[in-house]
Amino acid sequence: MKFIPRRPTGNINVTKTSAIREFLALAGGLLAIILVLYLSLGVAVEILVPHLSAGIEQAMAVNLLPRMMGKEIDDTKSRELQPLLDRLQEHCTKLPYHCTIKVSSSPKVNALALPGGTILIFSGLLDTLTSENELAFVLGHEMGHFAHRDHLRGLGRGLVFMAISTALFGPHNQINRLAARFLNLTELSFSRHQETAADHFALEVLHCTYGHVGGALTFFEKLAAAKHSRYNKISFFSSHPLTPERVHDLQVYSRQRGFGSGKLTPLRDNL
Amino acid sequence: MGDLTIFLLLLALGYGAGTWAEKRHYRSIMEREEQLLHLPTITTKKVELDDSKVERAVLVVGSVVISVDYFKRLLAGLRNIFGGTIKSYETLLDRARREALLRMKEKAHGASMIINVRIETSTVGKRAFKGKLGSVEAIAYGTAIKMKS
Repeated sequence: MKFIPRRPTGNINVTKTSAIREFLALAGGLLAIILVLYLSLGVAVEILVPHLSAGIEQAMAVNLLPRMMGKEIDDTKSRELQPLLDRLQEHCTKLPYHCTIKVSSSPKVNALALPGGTILIFSGLLDTLTSENELAFVLGHEMGHFAHRDHLRGLGRGLVFMAISTALFGPHNQINRLAARFLNLTELSFSRHQETAADHFALEVLHCTYGHVGGALTFFEKLAAAKHSRYNKISFFSSHPLTPERVHDLQVYSRQRGFGSGKLTPLRDNL
Repeated sequence: MGDLTIFLLLLALGYGAGTWAEKRHYRSIMEREEQLLHLPTITTKKVELDDSKVERAVLVVGSVVISVDYFKRLLAGLRNIFGGTIKSYETLLDRARREALLRMKEKAHGASMIINVRIETSTVGKRAFKGKLGSVEAIAYGTAIKMKS
């Protein structure tokens, strides 16, 4: 057999293809699947939340609360504030469970509604408040989230979404992080409607307890002032966005319901 | 936002640098293949040769380690989800095999032929132990025969 030196024509082992086009198709497809999953999750959560019993919620809370509350719980302050919360929920709200208040020693200016009826309030927020009415407004607002079960909606979607993306790709991957970026925004705008509803609830509670709604607006004015001076970042606004529309809505709602302003009850100094 | 910027930068860098390196490598491979075309390189284990005419028979080995770039690795990762041919690794392995063969041929400088040629591949690097592709090694070896002139 004669040896003829000859190069093969073409390369069968390498497919001629556009890597960028393949990347866009795959990444786009993946994002689309995640988006569809996410949207259907949102629908699923909406269907599920009203049917979730208080018992199941509290069972869930057992596992979630320690992680969500952190370690800096001030038990003394928490006990001192509990009577106020009890007063608010006893006559003026119909919640499926008894709410408890926990004070966290943290400079954060924020309050959260945690599953199972726990209101977590940071001492940073407590420090900016001067009257009991303002505190009652904050508590009423968080109770509004309980009444409308907003805290579960936010939690449910977040939890299920994270679970799925983690199951698919493991906890640390860029695709997951990238997708989460886009989806957080939807969650925020979703919250804005709920904030207004919770505000209305808080106004009702305030009026029912004190006979007037004084303190509600001063609370927002104070936070807005603090935003510009003392604190660089008021985290209350990141979970409870403050917009001119929201303040305006508070005024309009008070006027419609005939809620007036009145004398404020001062907060005790040691709080 | 910082994470995303770094991610996109890595992606662009991976694509740019990876494409450039690949083109350069292929140019070099083509040139050297042309130069070494005259050397018969076959997989046959035994060849009918007159023993008295064989001057020397030695083992020649050529090996190379090539890494895949960030962009292609990500592309392969996406492909892993949906399945199908991982085209982004094809050039990597093709280059590795041909480069290993070329190095082997270069090693056999002056030989009349190389017989019993085999090619093997393996993955190297930290990621390889987790079942992922880090870098790929191709190793080509054979028996170089030099005939008496």
